[in-house]
Amino acid sequence: MKKVKLGLAVALALAGTACSNLERSRDLANPNVPPAVTAMQVCSICHGVTGNPVSPIFPRLAGQQRDYLVAQLEQFRSHHRADPAGFEYMFGLSRNLTDAQIQGLADYFTKQVPLPGAPGDPALMAAGKEIFEKGVPEKATPPCVACHGPKGEGVATFPRLAYQYADYLSKQMHVFRETEGRPNTPMTQVAHGLSSTQVEAVAAYLQAFPTQK
Amino acid sequence: MRNIGAALRGRLGAGGVSLALLLLAMAPYEAQALPAFARQTGQNCVACHAGGQFPELTPYGRMFKLTGYTIGTRVVPLSVMGVAGYAKVADTSKSDNPASDFYKNGVPLLASGSVFIAGKLTDNIGAFSQITYDNYANLATDNQYAGHTQADNMDFRYADRFIDGNRDIVFGVSLNNNPSVSDPWNTAAAWMQYVPTPSPASHQFIDGKSPFPGFGSGGNLAGLSAYLFWNQTLYAELGSYRTSKGALSFMSAGLNGASTTQLNGSNNPYWRLALSHEWGPHNLMVGTSGMIAHVYDANSDITDPNDLGRFKNVGVDAQYQYILDPHTVTVQMAYTRQTQDYSANTIANGPVDANGNPLVFVDANGNPLAPVNPSDTTNIFRAKLSYVYQARYGGSVALFNRTGTSNTLNQNSGYDPVFGVTSDPTGALGATALSTRVTGNFSGNPGTRGYTYEAFWMPVQYVRAGVQYTAYSKYNGASDNYDGFGRNARDNNTLFLYVWGAY
Ligand code: HEC
Ligand code: HEC
Repeated sequence: MKKVKLGLAVALALAGTACSNLERSRDLANPNVPPAVTAMQVCSICHGVTGNPVSPIFPRLAGQQRDYLVAQLEQFRSHHRADPAGFEYMFGLSRNLTDAQIQGLADYFTKQVPLPGAPGDPALMAAGKEIFEKGVPEKATPPCVACHGPKGEGVATFPRLAYQYADYLSKQMHVFRETEGRPNTPMTQVAHGLSSTQVEAVAAYLQAFPTQK
Repeated sequence: MRNIGAALRGRLGAGGVSLALLLLAMAPYEAQALPAFARQTGQNCVACHAGGQFPELTPYGRMFKLTGYTIGTRVVPLSVMGVAGYAKVADTSKSDNPASDFYKNGVPLLASGSVFIAGKLTDNIGAFSQITYDNYANLATDNQYAGHTQADNMDFRYADRFIDGNRDIVFGVSLNNNPSVSDPWNTAAAWMQYVPTPSPASHQFIDGKSPFPGFGSGGNLAGLSAYLFWNQTLYAELGSYRTSKGALSFMSAGLNGASTTQLNGSNNPYWRLALSHEWGPHNLMVGTSGMIAHVYDANSDITDPNDLGRFKNVGVDAQYQYILDPHTVTVQMAYTRQTQDYSANTIANGPVDANGNPLVFVDANGNPLAPVNPSDTTNIFRAKLSYVYQARYGGSVALFNRTGTSNTLNQNSGYDPVFGVTSDPTGALGATALSTRVTGNFSGNPGTRGYTYEAFWMPVQYVRAGVQYTAYSKYNGASDNYDGFGRNARDNNTLFLYVWGAY
């Protein structure tokens, strides 16, 4: 048993030190891998090279607020953000990233240009716009613009929402409303006042975020 | 698991067991499946397996594989997997020896277990290799099965990825033991399977034993292929196979000489071309693949050039996936056409019985049957539709259809000149044509058709319990009386229940 363990450890150590390829590494535990390399080699497979993913399973990272990106990666790493998809996909990828790598990854994605998503049903989007700009006064739900900005662009740790996939946005709203997966944020309160239809409406509006009246 | 443990101890030796124990000892609190890979990336199965259905890969899972299993952090590259099953065939009465034809029918068994050595070795090198123990692999003369351990799928890779804003090229080389095991899509011959498919020796009519598009050469070879995946759109792979021997004999470890496929030389090319496209939560692949293999009839004898036959396989396949939590929908289709040119000796000698004596079949009027065709063509089509909800509850329907040319060579049931259709398993009658019940083929045609239905439940991501039902409308060329003794295709319908676990 001991021998096997030792043999295995030696073999792996040898293999490891012999060949690392920093310009094109997919190693997530090597602090010397530059963040832009990790972004290209690993993150891009799901989030897209420019942070605009093909599939709505993955959130758009392009143009996302830098501080927000840093905070989320730190929270995946510390397991403070533990909603199911975060746990399934992001815990492991972030577990060995250094603070410097996290900041570098945030720099990489914040610089990218977000692309608008497809528009949904006009009536639904109109209802969403109403909620986004005015909130739901009878439920004391504050307007989203108050924190996420008039263009849905976010600021600091208030995330950008404009152009984000509707599917992802609604899933997060359900996480805030029904679970403890993303604790200690005003969003728990905000999401409480919204019905599922209202969530769907505001998500549809944000995905396309039409700028003209 | 105790049986597997004991068996592995016997077969793999103490080293294997200590490795397995070491693995268990190093278990992190969240167990994950292919567990070694999941530990390496720290992700759940669903990141790489569509709806958590092993072995079907998501677009990310395909990139994980094509980039050489190198994403993540190096961990102990070991996993274990085990299957317990229960199978029941519709009719066991039309058999001379139900004990061997339907061994363990209706009896729960611990069927097979695998050890995987899989994971990242360096920034460019990774491995996926499986060693499988089958509790019911070999039937001995006393109607008892003996367990057996052997090399299963193996794939060692070197890969690199050149990516920037304008291009994305994944390039790699795979050393593997089974044509198409290197492929990332699950309509490839090595992967389009219902998992698990344990112990076919005792459950010969479960879906795992029904026709699948594949390559005539079979597995446990030694092959080298190079591949390119361009802009996640065009995939091309070219390789060639030879007999697994010498330094590469570990790729057929556990097989004795007589059951190791012997290929002629290294000129047994395999090729693959696929187009892939992703849009929103959808992705589609349309591809083609093929292989030409020169295979010796008698696996042990590679001296006689007249023993050399040739398989040519050409296939097309397509896969569509829709993946957006909580839904996963997959449609798969694969078709292969196989042309088999028999060796000169096979054509000259015609069909033989188990002892190598010629089988002489006649028609119902006593006229000798047409001589052996020098070649046969077989077409296999398979389609599968599956749906998984929340990566937890799933179901699927599959259709399989094998058609092909009739050939006296395929016959192992027929009229004997003296006795007519006779089952003479002990040889007491002295029939020259040994017709067989249950597995017999009376028509000389390989036609087999049916459906498989499955429902499964994954209470946790590394355990799956399933109910599978395979219904045949045609078997060995006929719907009714395919063996010449009144057995019908539907008599082979099989219910299969299983519990599968991996760590
Ligand atoms: C296997 C696919 C996959 C890969 C690879 C991946 N991610 Fe993610 N990522 C996801 C999913 C799914 C989510 C949504 C998680 C959730 O809903 O909590 C996510 C969420 C995120 C978020 C939170 C976004 C938000 O709006 O709150 C950030 C930041 C992030 N990923 C960064 C990264 C970085 C950096 C990498 C590369 C190191 C990376 N991801 C690689 C699948 C992936
Ligand atoms: C009081 C400030 C505040 C208001 C008002 C507010 N939000 Fe938020 N929102 C936040 C903060 C802070 C976060 C980041 C949460 C975290 O770090 O986990 C957030 C996160 C989100 C997210 C998750 C984004 C992501 O990428 O994962 C969504 C979706 C969201 N808000 C939607 C809304 C909607 C819709 C409204 C209006 C109905 C709204 N918010 C109003 C502060 C606010």
